[in-house]
Amino acid sequence: MSCLDDFAQYPPEWCPGCGNFDLLDCLKQALCDLGLQPHEIINVIGIGQASKLGFSLKCNMFDGLHGRALPVVLGIKMANPAVKVIATSGDGCFYAEGGNHFIHNLRRNLDVAILASDNRVYGLTKGQASPTSASDFKTKVHIEGVGALPLNPAALALVSGATFVARTFTGAKAEATELIKKALLHRGAAVIDIMSPCVSFNKVNTFAWFRQRAKPIGPDHDVTDLHAALKLAFHDDEHIPTGVLYQTRRPVFGDHLTVMQGESIVQRTLRFTPDRVRPLFKDFY
Amino acid sequence: MAGPKFKTGLRLMSGNEAVAEGALYAGCRFFAGYPITPSTEIAEVLAMRLPQVGGFFLQMEDEIASMAAVLGASLAGAKAMTATSGPGFSLKQENIGYGCIAEIPCVIVDVQRGGPSTGMPTKPMQSDIMQARWGTHGDHPIIALYPDSVEEAFWETIRAFNLAERFRTPVILLSDEVVGHMRERMFLPKPGTVSIYNRRKPRREPDKYMPYEGGAQDVPTMAAFGTGYRFHVTGLFHDRTGFPTNDPAIIESELRRLHRKVDRGYNEIMKWEEFFLDDAEEVIVAYGCTARSARAAVKRLRLRDRKVGMFRLKTIWPFPDRAIRQIARRAHTKLLLVAEMNTGQVLGEVERAVAGKCAVEGLQRLDTEMITPRQLMRALREG
Ligand SMILES: Cc1ncc(C[n+]2csc(CCOP(=O)(O)OP(=O)(O)O)c2C)c(N)n1
Repeated sequence: MSCLDDFAQYPPEWCPGCGNFDLLDCLKQALCDLGLQPHEIINVIGIGQASKLGFSLKCNMFDGLHGRALPVVLGIKMANPAVKVIATSGDGCFYAEGGNHFIHNLRRNLDVAILASDNRVYGLTKGQASPTSASDFKTKVHIEGVGALPLNPAALALVSGATFVARTFTGAKAEATELIKKALLHRGAAVIDIMSPCVSFNKVNTFAWFRQRAKPIGPDHDVTDLHAALKLAFHDDEHIPTGVLYQTRRPVFGDHLTVMQGESIVQRTLRFTPDRVRPLFKDFY
Repeated sequence: MAGPKFKTGLRLMSGNEAVAEGALYAGCRFFAGYPITPSTEIAEVLAMRLPQVGGFFLQMEDEIASMAAVLGASLAGAKAMTATSGPGFSLKQENIGYGCIAEIPCVIVDVQRGGPSTGMPTKPMQSDIMQARWGTHGDHPIIALYPDSVEEAFWETIRAFNLAERFRTPVILLSDEVVGHMRERMFLPKPGTVSIYNRRKPRREPDKYMPYEGGAQDVPTMAAFGTGYRFHVTGLFHDRTGFPTNDPAIIESELRRLHRKVDRGYNEIMKWEEFFLDDAEEVIVAYGCTARSARAAVKRLRLRDRKVGMFRLKTIWPFPDRAIRQIARRAHTKLLLVAEMNTGQVLGEVERAVAGKCAVEGLQRLDTEMITPRQLMRALREG
């Protein structure tokens, strides 16, 4: 069994009150509850304050490029599908710079747990709007507001083909921890949009703002019903349903490929025995 | 909207702010970008200032989109720019290549930080020199400038726009974390006292317009999309009509023209500073933030009667081969010491230009700390 301390690494340097502290706690708790060991997990991060969570979580880490976490995950998973991979980053990283990769890896149902710490702002670069900022959100470079609809991560995940879609809030730690565990156990593309306050650069979507609006989804919701899930995804801003919106099963990327059956390509040894090579030569001569 | 508002007179500002102000003076009316350290202040200033002068500012979803938007705006007739740093500069490269072959004037600012990759966002390096030259694929000409002070950041930005418009080409304005973030006193001139070049417009009737006919100067005239001219723009090899061609003879002659237009502009494009060079035996070759230390080292060594000078590149690309060769050929020149925060990206160019006419040495630093005057003095065997 692992315990929380097994996953401790460098102490985080976020501002006091940052939602990422809670997210880090929840993630560690989830990993412990599942009995996972640091060496059994690969965390692929992008760039941003949310990504820096990776520096404080002891496990295998790929500190990637801004926006590019998911294609790296694909490479890892195709080379060795047995490993458990999580991708942690912010809303800017997953939905702006990495927007294209987000869509296409959900279409693939890439087997990964995507934890998007969504503070609706660019924290690391000091306060520009992110794709999830409200259209009237004003910043130093959006002096008259953003002027574009905020992206709806849950809806986008649903229509792009994610097979597990959830939403939570860093102030609801028990719920967040349970959802992370479910995402880790899910086989396929699991997305959790985690509403997380940025105390320095988002004075609109504060801890109190999220807490007032985050409302757990009731027991009547059928998580296998895509249309019901979409309805929950399109919430009004006064009631943001949290919990599992959708979960289904479909083959993960690679299942359709002959080469992905049996042992992984990294375990497989290249056997150039004469009986295997001869037919190849026949093609040429 | 009130008329253009310009600050004038003595100011204390940072290099990044000076770039933004210079862009406004040059007539830039479109900026698209994506935040990245240490360039973000350029966007922050322009977000506020562009609307004041009737210009447009937008933070895009990434750097690829930003660069593409700049191309679109320029083709529609607005002087356009973007600003970024290493990782973002890498992402812009494919579109920069498009700008080169489609001959779309624009300015790309790269405030250099430590690299490769994420490297060191908050400290300087000068390691994108070759990326500015060859970052995009294919054999293309490029113009790149590199100021070393706040005041010069202002003027070189204006020059970058003028050259872009004059030669119908993307121009790269290199800077670095030190030049971008340091604050200095500078004088902002009255608008109208600064000479501004605007792209030449076609004089022919729209139905006779040839968007890629080089003419006497090898630089085609440029109509704006949507102003009565109808024309075709492509990243494929094209002939003077703008339509794709696979005729080898036309491909070669068009690519030759592309290079020739910049080659022929050598004297217009080339700018450098000679500091105590008249009798210098040892010459420090430097640029950007490193030149500031070089200037200090030269002053100190001159006080000790050492015949030391500095050749400072302001135009990095095309490379000032001829100017450097001339200095190497002077009878009193014994040594060129190329100081830079990379593994010798300009050193190799200097060696090529000098072709053995005098000794060339390099002084390099890769730890994201500036080369100090003392280091330079030590390299010239005087500590
Ligand atoms: C190619 C590239 N462009 C820009 C950046 C600068 N940058 C780093 S993180 C970031 C956005 C951060 O916002 P988000 O992903 O929402 O994370 P947060 O910091 O808010 O947690 C930006 C613009 C970069 N590192 N690389």
